[in-house]
Amino acid sequence: MKQTEGKIGIREYVAILLLALGTKLTDDTPSLLYGTAKNSAWISMLLIGILTVVPILFLLKVFSVHRNKNLHELNLHLFGKVFGNIVSLGMLAFGFSALVLDSATYVNIISNIYFTKTPPIAIYIIMGIVCGYGAKRGIQHIGSAAWITLSYLKVTLALALFVAFTKGNSKFLFPLWGPGTKEIVKTAASKMSIFADFYFIGIIAPVVNSFKEFKKGTFIAFSFVLVEITIAIIIYVMLFDFTSIEVISYPFHEAILYISIGFLKNVESIFLPFWLIAAFIRFSFYLYMVLVLFGGIFKIKEYEYLVPVMVVLIVFLGTSPQFATYTVPYLREQLLMILSPIFFLLPCFMWLIAKVRGDFKNEVKKDM
Amino acid sequence: MKLKRICKVCLLVLLLLNVTGCWDQKGLDRQVFVIGIGLDKAKENGKINVTYLIANPEVGTSQTGGATDEPALMTVTMRASDFISMRNNANSVVAREISYDLLNVIFVSEELAQEEDFMRFLYTSEKDREIKRDVILAVTKEKVQDFFAKNKPLFLKRPHKYYENMIQRGVEIGIIPKSELHHFFRVTEEDANLFLSIYATAQMPTKENKYRVNENDELAGELKVEGQTNTGQFLGSAVFLEGKMIGTMTGVETRIAMLLHDAIPVRDVLTVFPDPFHENYQLTVRLIQQKKTTVELDLKAKPPRIHVTLPLTIDVLTDPSMENPVENKKKIEEIRRAFEKLMEREAMSLVRSTQEEFKAEPFGWSLHARKEFRTLKEYMDFDWMKTYPDMKVEIDVELRFGKFGRQPKTPSYEGIRD
Repeated sequence: MKQTEGKIGIREYVAILLLALGTKLTDDTPSLLYGTAKNSAWISMLLIGILTVVPILFLLKVFSVHRNKNLHELNLHLFGKVFGNIVSLGMLAFGFSALVLDSATYVNIISNIYFTKTPPIAIYIIMGIVCGYGAKRGIQHIGSAAWITLSYLKVTLALALFVAFTKGNSKFLFPLWGPGTKEIVKTAASKMSIFADFYFIGIIAPVVNSFKEFKKGTFIAFSFVLVEITIAIIIYVMLFDFTSIEVISYPFHEAILYISIGFLKNVESIFLPFWLIAAFIRFSFYLYMVLVLFGGIFKIKEYEYLVPVMVVLIVFLGTSPQFATYTVPYLREQLLMILSPIFFLLPCFMWLIAKVRGDFKNEVKKDM
Repeated sequence: MKLKRICKVCLLVLLLLNVTGCWDQKGLDRQVFVIGIGLDKAKENGKINVTYLIANPEVGTSQTGGATDEPALMTVTMRASDFISMRNNANSVVAREISYDLLNVIFVSEELAQEEDFMRFLYTSEKDREIKRDVILAVTKEKVQDFFAKNKPLFLKRPHKYYENMIQRGVEIGIIPKSELHHFFRVTEEDANLFLSIYATAQMPTKENKYRVNENDELAGELKVEGQTNTGQFLGSAVFLEGKMIGTMTGVETRIAMLLHDAIPVRDVLTVFPDPFHENYQLTVRLIQQKKTTVELDLKAKPPRIHVTLPLTIDVLTDPSMENPVENKKKIEEIRRAFEKLMEREAMSLVRSTQEEFKAEPFGWSLHARKEFRTLKEYMDFDWMKTYPDMKVEIDVELRFGKFGRQPKTPSYEGIRD
């Protein structure tokens, strides 16, 4: 079965992004912000959103003149063969570590909160198999799975957040500026790479039907996810207050454990399966991107054969850290910290090079 | 092609095995459900006596027609280090796996709640996956062990229903606070306010009932109840500061605190006030909180000032002096003035007692204060808990009249006696 270069439409593209990025609000991403920005984490989040627009714009600008290239090919084109490969390799390293750490976080959540007696490695292996299968099927299948499940996942998520909202108290959001504007900006700057996925989506840029759809889809998904995560962060604070929220590792799960809908108690069992599906799609997508990048760099055409190796590697690395509860969030925070300036500067740099090389002029001429 | 299909089917069937949850597989018939946990002081340091209230799932279900010979509940008391290790300890006498999934309420004896160390034991509940943050925290006057032993609810044989309904109703009428662990943790961690917890007992008073205007103006265990009924009383609240019990509030005080707090809705309050027309009698009124309490703060003043407006609609439901206030505008004005004054006095005396006795407030006013500050640092520097005892508090009660009972008019007393 050779991977066919099928295309996905804007629908699937947006669905994938919404699931892959939207699930961030259910893991420990909000906690990373609460640590320093406390009750004003949502302002940090909005700032991150505003800052993220810059690299996205540059990236889209560059892609607008290289419509048939994916991120790796673009790197090669812009930076030359040697540097391009180095940049791509660096991106691969970051993407791969993010995949390992994120999946480790999810396994952590499942094994700490839901399946306490199951060994984490068993959960990891099952997740690896499911996501590996998803990634092997390719972007089209991931896209349609995402599109089919999207509405269910978002409706249940909205329901959980709404119920949490009714239990919350809006006064917990005050004092409005929390730990002070300086801290808020600092948090935003250091955690900017929460949206670094928008750099990696360049990998699937040529798979989307047309560049116009790619551009539009990116913006739709970006604004939706930004609003979604910001609202979630506000709701968690309203529910737990700034003192407790710092201690809570996974606010979303703590919230669905706490809330009850009318006479229904223990509602987390309603939300858990939906959340799991979202997580599977998310990691299938990440795995797919890592594989494509890997295949691109090492010139491996049939990269689906890499899936088993990659899954084993991820499971092996993900389960290796001792005291996963503490080391994984720590490493994740470090990664975000390193990635933040890179994510911000690299697209600008790419644009600059493209400008110097005169790629844009060609485009204009072609259009005329 | 055929082989491939068979392989696929086999794979699917294999996947089904995952559904059981492997290691976390739990059979309903292999678990017992703890409805309530009781925590008592143990003689040894670092230990507590844990009591389980275990419900019999077969009692009162429609499957067995509600008829089994076995008792509806059992209690197990053991010494333990915490209530997580207790799960296994108790298995020496309980045959099945112990589940906290249906845990409803955690009772703590007053003796333990007053200990500095109490918090250490309670925070265990944040660690356990099955203990939800919506579990209710309640304080008992006696040892919880004795409370469980004595309290044999009638009619509501299924114990989880009894505790659930008892607490729900008590909160609705405002004689006990809604004390979820969630709020306990929040208030304790915020470290600025008092937390009110349900106060309960199964001890009946031995001494004579003393006179009180409102029969609810008392703590559980002081209110004399006769007849063949439940022995457990849920009335009033235990006051916690920084995770330690420091005092109590009566039912009426609890209700006032809940009315003054703008985030706690009290739905169905019947209370009595002295009849302004006849000193021997009281009027029963229903208080309805239609608008939210408004709190205005002036924190720059020295001492800082708080102005609270409590808008209430009241239904006057009795008229023992047979004065027929409905017909007379003047009389209504008189009632209003008398009640407003009285309620303001009662509320103020509660505020004063929190300022002097507890040195912190349970009314959630610090939340309003947060809006007055720009950053958390400014708010922390203000130190609400320290400044509160010196604050100047004013309470305005604004009454509006609603209904006057089903039949607003009564015949005049003199007319009948004539």
